[in-house]
Amino acid sequence: MENVIEVKSLAKIFGNQTALEDVNFHVKKGETFGFLGPSGSGKTTTIKILTGQLAQTSGDAKVFQTPTSSINKPAYRKRIGVITDNSGLYSRLSIYDNLKLYCDLYDVPTKRIQEVLQMVNLTDEPKKPISKLSKGMLQRVTLARAFLHEPDLLFLDEPTSALDPANSKHIHDGLRRLNEKGTTIFLTTHDMTEAESLCNRVAFLNRGKIQLLDEPKALRRQFSDASVTLELKDGREIIVTGDAKGADAIHQYMATGQVVSIHSNEPTLGDIFVEVTGRELV
Amino acid sequence: MTFSMKRVMAIFQKDMKDLSKNIYITSTLILPLFFAFFYGRMDNLTIDVHYMVINLVLAVVTSFVQCAIIAEEKEKNTLRGLMLSPATLPEILGGKSLVSFILTIGTILICTMLTDYEPVNLSLVALAIIISILFYIALGTLMGLLSRSVVEASVLIMPVIFIFGFSSMFQPFAEEYPILSVVDYLPSIQLIEVAAAVESGSGFADVVGNLAIIFVWVLVAMVATAIVYKKREMDE
Repeated sequence: MENVIEVKSLAKIFGNQTALEDVNFHVKKGETFGFLGPSGSGKTTTIKILTGQLAQTSGDAKVFQTPTSSINKPAYRKRIGVITDNSGLYSRLSIYDNLKLYCDLYDVPTKRIQEVLQMVNLTDEPKKPISKLSKGMLQRVTLARAFLHEPDLLFLDEPTSALDPANSKHIHDGLRRLNEKGTTIFLTTHDMTEAESLCNRVAFLNRGKIQLLDEPKALRRQFSDASVTLELKDGREIIVTGDAKGADAIHQYMATGQVVSIHSNEPTLGDIFVEVTGRELV
Repeated sequence: MTFSMKRVMAIFQKDMKDLSKNIYITSTLILPLFFAFFYGRMDNLTIDVHYMVINLVLAVVTSFVQCAIIAEEKEKNTLRGLMLSPATLPEILGGKSLVSFILTIGTILICTMLTDYEPVNLSLVALAIIISILFYIALGTLMGLLSRSVVEASVLIMPVIFIFGFSSMFQPFAEEYPILSVVDYLPSIQLIEVAAAVESGSGFADVVGNLAIIFVWVLVAMVATAIVYKKREMDE
């Protein structure tokens, strides 16, 4: 399948500080790719390079087979959507007026506004001024703006960081729908649950370097010792290894009717990140 | 390069709506109107007085409004949103400049009515004023791109208002301080010279030199603006 993003030996140095070092990855068409890492790991720098807002120090970065230094053309801009933490809105204008501007800029009919407002659960007050919105609502309007033109490639930098679980779910559903329609999504987050639920593949970024890159399921399998935890009727919890000896033990506990529940001990992406990098995802 | 009038008009309409709710910026229109009203009560105004008011409109309304709306876009990170959209530099700056252009024309018309100014050759004077507006819009854009906030823009624009708005006041000192003779080449002074020549019956051929000087200012300001805009498209 065609690669929408290709990054080879990418490096970025600010003064004497290395933000990215020998970063290599690609994103296939139709994929939702998660770029995971704690604050300051280089996620936003990567998005800025890929969207042509920042020049790399060395290495190659291509979007739609075009070097990112050349994607500042309307034809490419129409195919890309970008939401970063500092994507601004016009505070004196209403939600509707903000979105209408972008409908006109992207040549999208204004009836699309209602559809994107539904996607972000904001259909009640389209005429409300931006200055009167909460932080979470602002984030939802910003996302709605990125959804307007159904881009071929959508960059999202921490899209649900200010949202409550109910609205996060709404956004996740919207992103899945966009992805089903063919939008490739490049998502940065430090929310591992979000990454697990949305991403086909994830890369762990730590101090500017990719430490791991694979499908979430494959990573969990790779770092799993295949053990399970048995919860017994007497309240005890027993960890059983995933080998023949463990199988015998499980058989024994089950045969004697002592088992209340069995839980897999597969690690979460968060656990794996801590194991690989020695750092928490904050 | 593609040029979409629809995108220009979208940015223009957005800015007009936004500006109508922005008292801080729109209140600047009052200053030249006040001067026009004040001078309008006097008899036999000279061409210098008429153009002091018009140059004040160009400095205060054209440059400041343009500078402030660009600076606000930067301050609120909305300019980057426009830059990341399919809108090109001419479309973005065209849409934003149209706002300042229309406000300038409107303010100049009201001021000339208040001061009762009727040029002998309206089309020639209008041409000179329109070329001047282009310069002040480019200058305002440049200052706006160099500012980080509206407050900073308000400070940065002060020398512009002082130099271009009140340049005719420096001319009498040019004999004493030769360095001030450069004032003669400022677009504000050139505009006054065009207007004075027109009043004494001169035609296009007589003022083409003055118009050319103003046009050179326009080109220099536009090139500088384009360079700074391209730099602002990228982070450092």
